[in-house]
Amino acid sequence: MASAQLGGQGWSMAGRSLTALIGGYAAAAGLATLLARLLPVERVEATAWGMILSFLFYAAFGLWAFHEPRLTRVAAVIWGTAVIAGGAALLLGVRP
Amino acid sequence: MRQSMAWIHGWLGLLAGWILFAMFLTGTASYFRPEITRWMQPEYRPHAVPQAEAARTAIAWLQKNAPHDEQWTIYLPTDRTLSTRAFTRARPNPDPKAPRAPRRPEVRLDPATGAPIEARDTRGGEFFYRFHFQLQLPHPWGRWLAGLCAMFMLGAILSGVITHKRIFADFFTLRWSKGQRSWLDAHNVSAVLALPYHAMITYTGLITLVVMYMPWPILANYPKPTAFAESLYGDTAGQKASGQPGRLADMGRFVEAASAEWQGARVSRIIVGNPDDASSTVTLLRTGEDRLNARGASITYAGVSGARLAASPAPGPAVETAGVMLGLHLGWFAGPLLRWVCFLLGLTGCAMVATGLVLWTVKRQRPGAQPFFGMSLVERLNIGAVACLPAGMAAFLLANRLLPPTLAGRADLEVSAMFWTWFGLAALSLLRPVRRAWIETLAISALLFAAVPIADLAVVGGFPTDGLFVAFDTTMLLLAATLGFAAWRTAAKPARAAQPRRRVPVEVVEVREVVDVA
Repeated sequence: MASAQLGGQGWSMAGRSLTALIGGYAAAAGLATLLARLLPVERVEATAWGMILSFLFYAAFGLWAFHEPRLTRVAAVIWGTAVIAGGAALLLGVRP
Repeated sequence: MRQSMAWIHGWLGLLAGWILFAMFLTGTASYFRPEITRWMQPEYRPHAVPQAEAARTAIAWLQKNAPHDEQWTIYLPTDRTLSTRAFTRARPNPDPKAPRAPRRPEVRLDPATGAPIEARDTRGGEFFYRFHFQLQLPHPWGRWLAGLCAMFMLGAILSGVITHKRIFADFFTLRWSKGQRSWLDAHNVSAVLALPYHAMITYTGLITLVVMYMPWPILANYPKPTAFAESLYGDTAGQKASGQPGRLADMGRFVEAASAEWQGARVSRIIVGNPDDASSTVTLLRTGEDRLNARGASITYAGVSGARLAASPAPGPAVETAGVMLGLHLGWFAGPLLRWVCFLLGLTGCAMVATGLVLWTVKRQRPGAQPFFGMSLVERLNIGAVACLPAGMAAFLLANRLLPPTLAGRADLEVSAMFWTWFGLAALSLLRPVRRAWIETLAISALLFAAVPIADLAVVGGFPTDGLFVAFDTTMLLLAATLGFAAWRTAAKPARAAQPRRRVPVEVVEVREVVDVA
């Protein structure tokens, strides 16, 4: 299905790729940071878990971005996760 | 699901494939980083001394030659690395606008005397190691590009697994001489055979530079980002200089004390902070060669008084996991046999990427059709990466033997030899039709590898008696044979492929040849 969109809609493909590459990174970074901030374990441990798992999040977002046919849904979920998770991490601030 | 994943797999693999091939090949070579360095300095015959003695001689040399530096890092000799390696970092210029001082090259010292070792100047195995993740690009771009390619690789592995319906059956399936089917089989066999290894090496590779790629979790937990590293290694790493002069206590005693505290385990690295200052610190790191976790424990002492200041806390599960991931990637724990297994697995990774790249073109070839621009581009880049990079690596080793040992700047010339050969050969191959280009560049790579042991025997003189040199030269011959076999297979292909197609009209066959020329 994704391949069908390659021919006609170059822009949609570009948007999808950017969402996967940059949005996926932002969403993964946001989730990893939120996880690291909220995990109720030692500071250094929580940080390490967030960092270790971040690439798994990134890969999952990236692959799903090309699997899901509806681009609006892809963009909403990925950029939404990035904004919500990143925003929450910013609002929470540095662990006291 | 499977269809979309197959599509993603094809594009991820293609876009990052050429760089990934180079990363896999130089990374595989880096399993033998100390051995390559030893081979590249054949005149160096070190005398093994206890670690404490090596630490003393290194400190004496540094105190004479870099006394006012901000930090010294000393890698003590091991069973595999016979010299003491030292890195020094000058104090930053007080003027904030001054450009950052460039990183100084590593100094290799004789453990017995502390003098820089007298052997031909070379980057040694360190060159392949650095290229593997920095790609010879300015910092930090090389590392970012390597990380992006590793991420593509991770995506390609995951989507490849999802695409694959018969993962177990394909383990045993390799149909030779069946055109596209053979390439797919070869790609599947090399990928599936070592799948856990490929997934492991890709993910752990990302973890090696995670602090650079994904620093955000640190910012959420630490007001000062450097505090994360300090909490891993103990507290005093970032201590400021007092401004009062001070003299370091006997370094051998620090090594003995730390080793005793670790039940006799060896010290891998010593980091001396502000070595000429009254508040100097000496941090010793435990070796990672006897366990999976490469991030060993550390102890910090006051440099002048020798008082024990801090030690790294026992790692929790996450820090331990990260350390084991690092260890799995670096492979320091591996003894000789396991190291060769890792080396062979690394080569299956190269084979997987290379066959995948070739498969991309074979799948899209239509008999009789003019290759579209993208197809020609991919075909040419495939040749440039898969067939020409090995030639460059062989040229690097050949230059080591052929350049005069005392020539000024010879270490850089060796590196130039690699890139001129690699890119030069790739450029020249553009003049030849695709199939001829494959055959000829593969054959040239094979010849260059075969020339390495010959040059070794001719220049160093006589057959090597040291096991390391015998093993190295034999490996070069095996690599030459592998590349020669690849060239021969490519050359033999038209005759075999023609057999089942006897009924194909003559005109079409001719057109195919025209296509090859185009």
